[in-house]
Amino acid sequence: MALLALAVGAPSAEAQRQRTIVGERYVPTIWVDPDGCEHWVIDNGAEGYMTPNRTRDGRPVCHRANTCLVESADTLFATGSHHLRPGARERLSQFFRTSGSSAFVIYGHTDPRGGFEYNMRLSENRARTVANVAIQSGGYVSAVRGFGPMHPVASNNTAAGMAQNRRVEILCVR
Amino acid sequence: MKTVKFTLAGIAALMVSGCTYNSSSTATGHIWEINPEDNTVDRNIGRSNHLSDLQAGIWVDPHGCDHWMIDDGIEGYMSARLDPYGNPVCSGIAPPTVAVGRFRRGT
Repeated sequence: MALLALAVGAPSAEAQRQRTIVGERYVPTIWVDPDGCEHWVIDNGAEGYMTPNRTRDGRPVCHRANTCLVESADTLFATGSHHLRPGARERLSQFFRTSGSSAFVIYGHTDPRGGFEYNMRLSENRARTVANVAIQSGGYVSAVRGFGPMHPVASNNTAAGMAQNRRVEILCVR
Repeated sequence: MKTVKFTLAGIAALMVSGCTYNSSSTATGHIWEINPEDNTVDRNIGRSNHLSDLQAGIWVDPHGCDHWMIDDGIEGYMSARLDPYGNPVCSGIAPPTVAVGRFRRGT
């Protein structure tokens, strides 16, 4: 399965930039996994190969998301706080107890106001608060992370957009 | 057998490069030499099965994270299970190095 790469030797500088690449074409097919995400598949007749289909920013190409709850951070927490408002714990606990998932992934997000480091810390703390409720409700939490302002879902130019970006996402793993 | 096949393919590609592709290349461009065979279909035992029909199992890596595992009876496939942000999914479905589910079909 060796591939050869030959440099074409030629006198002019322009010609020296030429490269001859000897390869075989492998046009992939796509397999969609049970989560709804795509994978590249190559079958050369003797062996099969597979790797996730991701965009250049590293995010997988998925037909649906396994996000099962997006909670507005404003309804869970006071501004700048990672302590739950009254009643929020019970509501979250009810969700975790009835979801039927084998694992939860919890991601915190903020708007960009207040600075990057501050928001990374705040979103992480908020995600941990929610994760603790999941664990206390008998759930298994497989990942907890704060993304700060890195993954907005709406424009940060409007108050409504920023409110949408302040959120805690819960992914249900089945 | 396989070695012979690939060697021949390589030689064929070189020959093609000699007469066709070089002539149309530009000074800065790459010259791609391509084996036009279709590598997307299983040609082994006259079956053109597609993975979409197949069940995936999960193999848990030593870190505890999930990988999709499929065996169509001839080839085995494996690919990482990722969440929408591209992070590994580590569901705890089984202990590290254990595979679960109906990934084996046709064997």
